[in-house]
Amino acid sequence: MEKATDMEMEREEVEEEETESVSDVLRDRFRLSTISIAEAEAKRNGMEISEPIVACISDLAFKYAEQLAKDLELFAQHASRKIVKMEDVILSAHRNEHLATSLRSLCGDLKAKEPQSERKRKKTPRKENKATTSVVHIPDN
Amino acid sequence: MEDENNTFDPDLIHAIFKLVWTRRALERERNDVADALDCEVGAGTSKKNRQTSANGKAIKLSSELLRIFITEAVQRAATIAEAEGASKIEATHLERILPQLLLDF
Repeated sequence: MEKATDMEMEREEVEEEETESVSDVLRDRFRLSTISIAEAEAKRNGMEISEPIVACISDLAFKYAEQLAKDLELFAQHASRKIVKMEDVILSAHRNEHLATSLRSLCGDLKAKEPQSERKRKKTPRKENKATTSVVHIPDN
Repeated sequence: MEDENNTFDPDLIHAIFKLVWTRRALERERNDVADALDCEVGAGTSKKNRQTSANGKAIKLSSELLRIFITEAVQRAATIAEAEGASKIEATHLERILPQLLLDF
């Protein structure tokens, strides 16, 4: 019995170590992307940005990404889904009105783009979008 | 063109999300095992595949959200730096904008 639990513990430790190193690799890749985004943005504002600041912003964004993952999972679960959808992402930004609106418009763009490339002109998708947004039918007695 | 080069790779974001989700799934599983031992039922631990996944567009949207987070941080810090007449964004500038930034996201 005890041996079995020991083995279990060991296996878990190994698993934890593995996820640790995987997370380190991801963190580094994330930092590289952050550097290019942040430096481009600084250049656009006619500014230089010191390296430690970029690293700091990257860490913040990574923590934010982890938090976001948790939120998205919980939102999806709350809707009794196992798959995270765009609406969950929008929901995660609901505290910030501006952010939510810009995400919503991006969401519309993505929706408009995808079906065209996949199903090759399956009628005008714009109309479909309009139809779904204006579904609020008011029955005129 | 430049914009497209400067976004997160959706695969990277997906990998990060997956890592968090597997970590949480493992935790839950561990708790379940502990519960099962407490109840002395043992066998028959339901192997529900409770791993969350995401659809591609949701991942793209999340990458965009993270990109906005970073550009906002830089832009706000740049505004402060400009007001102070500096040409380089330093720690003090980031410190000034950080509280509001974290409230906004």
